[in-house]
Amino acid sequence: MTHPPMPLLKGTLDVLILKTLGWGPSHGYAISRWIQQTTGDELHIEEGALYPALRRLEGKGLLDASWKTTATGREAKVYTLTAAGRRQLKAEVSAWSRYVSAMTRALEARPTGAIA
Amino acid sequence: MRRRQPSDPLPLSNQKPVDEDVRLELAQHIEFRTEELVAEGWTAEDARAEALRAFGDVLSVSKECRQITVRARRSLRRDEWFGALLHDVRFAVRILRRAPAFTLGAVMTLALGIGANTAIFSVVNGVLLRPLPYDHPEQLVSVFEATERGGLSDLTEPNFHDWRAQAHSFDGMAAYGTDIGTLLGADIPSRVRTAAVSEDFFDVMRVRPVLGRLPAHDEFRVDAPPVAVVSYRFWQDRLGGTQEIFSRRLRSNFDFQVVGVLPQGFGFPDESDLWFPIELYGRNESRTAHNYAVVARLKAGLTPLDGDRELDALTVPMREQYLPRFDAVGGTVAPLRDLEAGPLKEPLYLLLGASGLLLLAACTNLASSMLVRGAARAHELAVRAAIGAGRGRLVRQVFTESLLISTLGCVVGLGIAVLLRRGLLLLAPAGMVPLEGAPFDLRVLGFSLLLTLLTAVLFGLLPAMRMSSVRPSQAMREGARHSGTRQSRRLWSTLVAVEVALAVILLSGSGLLLRSFSAITRIDPGFRAEGVITALLDLPDASYADVHQAVAFHDRLLAVLADAPGVVAAGVTNRLPLEGNSPGGAIQVEGKPTLPAGPFTGYAIYRTASTRYFDAMGIPVLAGRPFNDRDRANAPRVVIVTQGLAEREWSGEDPIGRQFRVYGMDGGEEPYATVIGVVADIPHGPITGARREAYWYPYSQNPARTRSMKLVVRTAGNPAALAPMLAQLVHDIDPQIPLEFRTMDDRLASSISDRRFTMVVLASFALVALLLAGLGIYGVVSYTVAQRSREIGIRIALGAEPSRVQRLVQGGAMVVIGIGIVVGGVGAVAGTRLMRALLYGVEPDDPMTFGLAVGLLLLVGFLASWLPARRSAAIDPVRAIQSE
Repeated sequence: MTHPPMPLLKGTLDVLILKTLGWGPSHGYAISRWIQQTTGDELHIEEGALYPALRRLEGKGLLDASWKTTATGREAKVYTLTAAGRRQLKAEVSAWSRYVSAMTRALEARPTGAIA
Repeated sequence: MRRRQPSDPLPLSNQKPVDEDVRLELAQHIEFRTEELVAEGWTAEDARAEALRAFGDVLSVSKECRQITVRARRSLRRDEWFGALLHDVRFAVRILRRAPAFTLGAVMTLALGIGANTAIFSVVNGVLLRPLPYDHPEQLVSVFEATERGGLSDLTEPNFHDWRAQAHSFDGMAAYGTDIGTLLGADIPSRVRTAAVSEDFFDVMRVRPVLGRLPAHDEFRVDAPPVAVVSYRFWQDRLGGTQEIFSRRLRSNFDFQVVGVLPQGFGFPDESDLWFPIELYGRNESRTAHNYAVVARLKAGLTPLDGDRELDALTVPMREQYLPRFDAVGGTVAPLRDLEAGPLKEPLYLLLGASGLLLLAACTNLASSMLVRGAARAHELAVRAAIGAGRGRLVRQVFTESLLISTLGCVVGLGIAVLLRRGLLLLAPAGMVPLEGAPFDLRVLGFSLLLTLLTAVLFGLLPAMRMSSVRPSQAMREGARHSGTRQSRRLWSTLVAVEVALAVILLSGSGLLLRSFSAITRIDPGFRAEGVITALLDLPDASYADVHQAVAFHDRLLAVLADAPGVVAAGVTNRLPLEGNSPGGAIQVEGKPTLPAGPFTGYAIYRTASTRYFDAMGIPVLAGRPFNDRDRANAPRVVIVTQGLAEREWSGEDPIGRQFRVYGMDGGEEPYATVIGVVADIPHGPITGARREAYWYPYSQNPARTRSMKLVVRTAGNPAALAPMLAQLVHDIDPQIPLEFRTMDDRLASSISDRRFTMVVLASFALVALLLAGLGIYGVVSYTVAQRSREIGIRIALGAEPSRVQRLVQGGAMVVIGIGIVVGGVGAVAGTRLMRALLYGVEPDDPMTFGLAVGLLLLVGFLASWLPARRSAAIDPVRAIQSE
């Protein structure tokens, strides 16, 4: 069965970008494809929204950006995770896991005598 | 509406301009996606449309991207700039802390310069620049009559009324007069400054009472019940600041009722405390009795010149109609500020200019010591240049040091300015600068900040450029020792010459003021001030309604004083020497032709005096006799004239026995009086002014003005010691007369205190400049000797006489000093011309003053170069050569 795609939670895109770049430097289009492929059709991300987010992260010093020649010989803007970006990613991932496990616990809990 | 896009900060080396950066990145995304879709089998057209659809709104995304990046790059640039600045400042602090003596000297030199300038500027700001505290003060003007004699005078009452009614240039015109009266009915009898004002006065000044009301229209009448408004200060200090005042009766010239209180800070004219309707003082229909000072408000957009022209035009028909009883030829309108700033303008601007020169001297001095330090640091700078610091970076570093010194100098300088300002105001003659008139406001702070920047540029930038232009290879190879190149020596010589020139200018200027002042103190005033004490005897009109009561008071007082111990002679007069030229007026000398201006034969200053006044004041009687006890009210009229008046009217003949009378004074016809004596000419106004012709009547025969007389007592010992006894004797007769004693010496001194003030301040500037020049010469010659010690050592080793070597070193310095003196001399000749108005008895190009200034500099220059040059003769050739 198919669900309609979910709107993206605020700030989620940033984590996804950091996570993507955690694998290594990459340009905007590649990041966009990777996010689409890993999230499948579950998350609805407008491709254009990626670029302001990238620039914001660059402004915060979490990413470095520079124009480089790619393997195909074309010039592309390549983003790299900075040390600060790496720290941020770690913090976000652990916060996210705690959030999800807390939510999951709550949503899957069975009623006990306390609530009646 | 489209918002202006923020401009693009310059990209760093691995960046593209923002527009291109955004456009390329987004276009590439679309391109990659399209290619992928084509690879999946889409047509090129469909693929591109799909790529664009999936992307979203390209336009708004690219706009957002652009904004984010522009902002980010800006803040990055800012952070970098501040980071570098912080680094420069830290480094500068380290450098300066390594040379505490240099830093302290530099900071103090600048602090003195900035402090002196700020202090003088705060006074200039308070007195000359700050707007007067009235509504639209630029519209306020004083109005005068231009007289036949080419001067200015106050207005006559009928002329004032005519001009006020007819002139269209003004939004209002008001007359006023000022007086110092005695106030009774407040806590204690006291002296109070009063103003008599016409009905328009409060409208012209645009002042409204904070309490009560202004005098009503009906109260501006001769026979109205007297009312007054009071100053805020007077209300607080003397009337207890309560509402009750409206029920109290006070007495000064009249019994009057207070009806209102004016706002805080308002005291025009002359810091008055009481304002009465001018009509209470009676009317005077004479068109030659100039009793009304006038203030007016120009219509918006008009200039004083417009007012001048209109009043001149109005005067023509008036003159035709009223001649010969008319003596105005036109009107003169001047900004009210000129009246308030008055004689301070020239000395203050002179001092401001002089303090500017002093600051320039301080900067020059610092520039040369920075250069000396720069030479010593050449090695360090060369190393930094060699490891990659750009020239701009080095200039910036050295300039940061200067700026740091300037800033410290500014901080210390502001402290010094506060002290100096207090000193200036203490030194300034009373009333010259009101204490509250020289505040440290934002304008003063702005001024000193500007000076700080300016000094940093002046003394810092030049050495910074010089120091950074050192070629690393050369400086490192030769070491610091030899970097004193010919070029930098020439720069030093220029700086030293400038310092010398500035000192010559300041010394010449202050020399001229010094010579003027000494000429003034040698003036024979025509009276003997030492041992004389004076006091104003202001008899309240209310208790001395009949002038004969006043005459009786003086008769009685003088009789008592004649026998008082310690009193050599006592007298009274309506006006003391130095107090001012008015009142003056027309006279008719018997047997002389009348002037075209009217039925009178000339002008002279009107005075009254008691029998022994001339003895008491020490004014010698040159011919005839002084007044004596037989010159009573009913005796034949007598008069004493000054030598100048006698010579003018009866040149070569005996003036004794001649007859003349005052014309049109105090209304009514005066009887003729016989000249019985001739006295020396005395200065009625400033001691440096012309000795105008004057005459004295015995007060018993001309009692009209006896309610306000000056007591003059010549004492045997210290005059001030006699004051309590004199006060007792006056109060025995009438305890309600307030008394303030002042010695004549004090009056004489304070009459020239503004000159002394200017002289002392300028002379101290000149001395500091001389000191700076001396230090500058000493520093540069010392350094040159140290630099050239190897060369000197070789010369001595080769057999040069040490004394010849010394002469060689010093000779070079003296040539530079000579050039500075010549340049400074030219500057001084040009500069001192501007101070002609402040000089007395000496010409602006006085050769003696210039000679002394030059001599002093030669002497200081010789000493300052001789001391270090002597060291060159003592150089041990072996040590000097080996030390390399």
